[in-house]
Amino acid sequence: MDMNEIKEIFFQECEEQLAELESGLLKLNDGDRDPETVNAVFRAVHSIKGGAGAFGLEELVAFAHVFETTLDCVRSNKLEPNQDVLKVMLKSADVLADLVTCSRDGGSVEESRTRGLVKELEALANGEAPPAAEAPKAAKPAAAPVVQPTDDSGFQPIPFTFDSFGDDEAVEDQFTYEVTFKPTRELYSKGNEAALLLRDLSRLGEMSIACDMDQLPALESMDPEASYFGWKISITTPKSEDEVRAVFEFAEWDCELDVKSAETAEGEELPMIPVPFDLSALDDEPAEAVQPQAETAAKASVPEATSSVAKAVNAAVEKKESAATAAAAAAQNNAAAASSVGQTIRVDLDRVDRLINLVGELVINQAMLSQSVIENDNNGVSSINMGLEELQQLTREIQDSVMAIRAQPVKPVFQRMSRIVREVADMVGKQIRLVTEGENTEVDKTVIDKIAEPLTHMIRNAVDHGIESPEKREAAGKDPEGTIKLSAKHRSGRILIELIDDGGGINRERVKQKAIDNDLISPDANLSDEEIDNLIFAPGFSTADKISDISGRGVGMDVVKRSIQALGGRISISSRPGLGSTFTMSLPLTLAVLDGMVVTVAGQTLVVPLTAIVETLQPEASAIHSFGANQRLISIRNSFCPLVDVGRILNFRANQANPVDGVALLVESEGGGQRALMVDAIQGQRQVVIKSLEANYTHVPGIAAATILGDGRVALILDVDAVVGASRGQSLKPEMSLAATG
Amino acid sequence: MAARKAASGKLALSPVLDLNEASVLHGKLMSMRGKDVVIDASAVERVGVQCAQVLVAGAAAWQADKKSFLVEKASDAFEKTMQLIGISETQLIAKEI
Repeated sequence: MDMNEIKEIFFQECEEQLAELESGLLKLNDGDRDPETVNAVFRAVHSIKGGAGAFGLEELVAFAHVFETTLDCVRSNKLEPNQDVLKVMLKSADVLADLVTCSRDGGSVEESRTRGLVKELEALANGEAPPAAEAPKAAKPAAAPVVQPTDDSGFQPIPFTFDSFGDDEAVEDQFTYEVTFKPTRELYSKGNEAALLLRDLSRLGEMSIACDMDQLPALESMDPEASYFGWKISITTPKSEDEVRAVFEFAEWDCELDVKSAETAEGEELPMIPVPFDLSALDDEPAEAVQPQAETAAKASVPEATSSVAKAVNAAVEKKESAATAAAAAAQNNAAAASSVGQTIRVDLDRVDRLINLVGELVINQAMLSQSVIENDNNGVSSINMGLEELQQLTREIQDSVMAIRAQPVKPVFQRMSRIVREVADMVGKQIRLVTEGENTEVDKTVIDKIAEPLTHMIRNAVDHGIESPEKREAAGKDPEGTIKLSAKHRSGRILIELIDDGGGINRERVKQKAIDNDLISPDANLSDEEIDNLIFAPGFSTADKISDISGRGVGMDVVKRSIQALGGRISISSRPGLGSTFTMSLPLTLAVLDGMVVTVAGQTLVVPLTAIVETLQPEASAIHSFGANQRLISIRNSFCPLVDVGRILNFRANQANPVDGVALLVESEGGGQRALMVDAIQGQRQVVIKSLEANYTHVPGIAAATILGDGRVALILDVDAVVGASRGQSLKPEMSLAATG
Repeated sequence: MAARKAASGKLALSPVLDLNEASVLHGKLMSMRGKDVVIDASAVERVGVQCAQVLVAGAAAWQADKKSFLVEKASDAFEKTMQLIGISETQLIAKEI
């Protein structure tokens, strides 16, 4: 593993730590005062700082350091995390995220922004601001957290100085501490080395040590990589207790550590060995310390920095596991989970994709095999046939398991939204609270990657246009603080994401007028409320009277809709004037497989996604009614539903087929309206592997993707919404050109 | 040195006795059980606690087997690290009794 790879891992982990940081801060913001939450937040910043130091990312280290110092005040109850404090912290988290991004991709964060926040953070740490903060001890001037100067090599030494809060000791005074230190296995597996920690400790003063070997088992039963030794150490030093503890700060969560001043310490029962002060023999090696990866970094640095660099690189490597640990801790919200290292592994996405592709091929192959067996097995009872059924079951299970590997909670995307809400709300001077729900709902990674953009756009819209200004809200008798709720849940094999705002709702009059002005509808069109609401998804539609920085840049909700549709999803809106709007997105859980109904249309085999189908029926001649020039309706249980000839609309045939000869599939479109799609016959129902048409051929209007059937033929997967949209015949510009696809 | 008899072995320690080396060292020692052993620590530049654990457990095992286990020519780094982590010379020696 070379340095770049380690750096890459560092940045990946930064993402995780930043997510952890943000979720912790938001929890605190919601009144959570669990010390573990504060610890998790502190750990996140601390880990970022540690790793950044190893790579000489000065700006990042400097900022993280100040941030961490303030967080430490919260951790030690010197600073009450009230709303004002958390506001600064959340902003700092945003800047930290930007600094990470800049460190990775280049560029720089506006210096005034960083400087301003550093000042605010320092003020908080010094107990200067805000009114609710009580910081009796932190008020001492010694506590001022100042960004440390960097040395010539560009590295900033990592052992930090935030420790001196409230230390009253005169520098020359000597103190004796009794330290008990017992590393866990994780300490070593993360690349830390107890011997190096002890060496660093010994440098603080005069030290004697006793090794507790009681837990060391017999040679044959020992695990060479486990941790058995613990130590009792007595150290006399001018340093404060915090400084002694700081030696172990990278290993703090992977060891049992107790530091007491000698007066309070209990009697010593182990014989102590004095540790020689001259440990220069050990000085050459920590550069290559513990993990060979550290070599590169350490060699590039000046000797004085080697120890901290090696330590920090180890920390960077360590975070590979600790990120998973932290996530688990957040989920379970208990400290015990912090040691669950080794429960997760990091796998390159390409490998998973390859596996998924292969399983896809396996499914196709298995279907082909089944088909040829069925064709050659006239009585249908051969043992091969039964074996094949089991194979089919197994294949399905393998496929589900592989899909589960790619499933990820939507949490990271939701968290990104809270930042957007914060920033946009600040920009437009609104008070908005984002409430998220069901953020652990899992969905395929590709879906997650692709919903971020449309969701961002919708959130911006909700903040900019949805929620009213505080004055307007108050005038309307509402809480001046608006609420946007973002929720996710699973529903019938899909993920449902709802974005609910308690703003003013859609101004239907204005929307309609705008649509008329833009020639989207004719002035005399008689539209239902729902249809008016859905006009905002029409291409080029924007109700904002003036184009703002935030939204309304010409890319409107039509882009959002298209992105959602491209994912095989649907989006709809319902709005209540004065009370707010609800956007509902329904997305497939995966983009790799699909349960579909295989149908025949004009000699072609098509697959209709099962999720779209409400029911199937055999139309009777008496139920078919003509309507207008060439529209037909079918009467179903006393209501009329437009009949859409799929073969005609896709240009598979020149004339409409006779509905009585075919089958009608009742489908629900994203607008909520139902359509009966006419097909010639139903072949069956099966799971198909989605093959992108765009990637392998080119986009075909009305067709979402393709698949390979058991007999090796390619079948097209119908884009139900596009077909329904094209059949509407109203002035909503159809996206389909209805080119021949056969 | 009593280790020059027929059933004796010599084990030269690697320069870097880190986490990765702990299992290797453990394996080597396990394969030498039952005979006197002399550990050559002259090349050692770095010792991690886990290798030290293996060595101490080794000395105890040899002691139990009543075989000799001797560390010789310890490098400065080896000696200093052992001192640092509180392991005395006697804990690394087993004598034939």
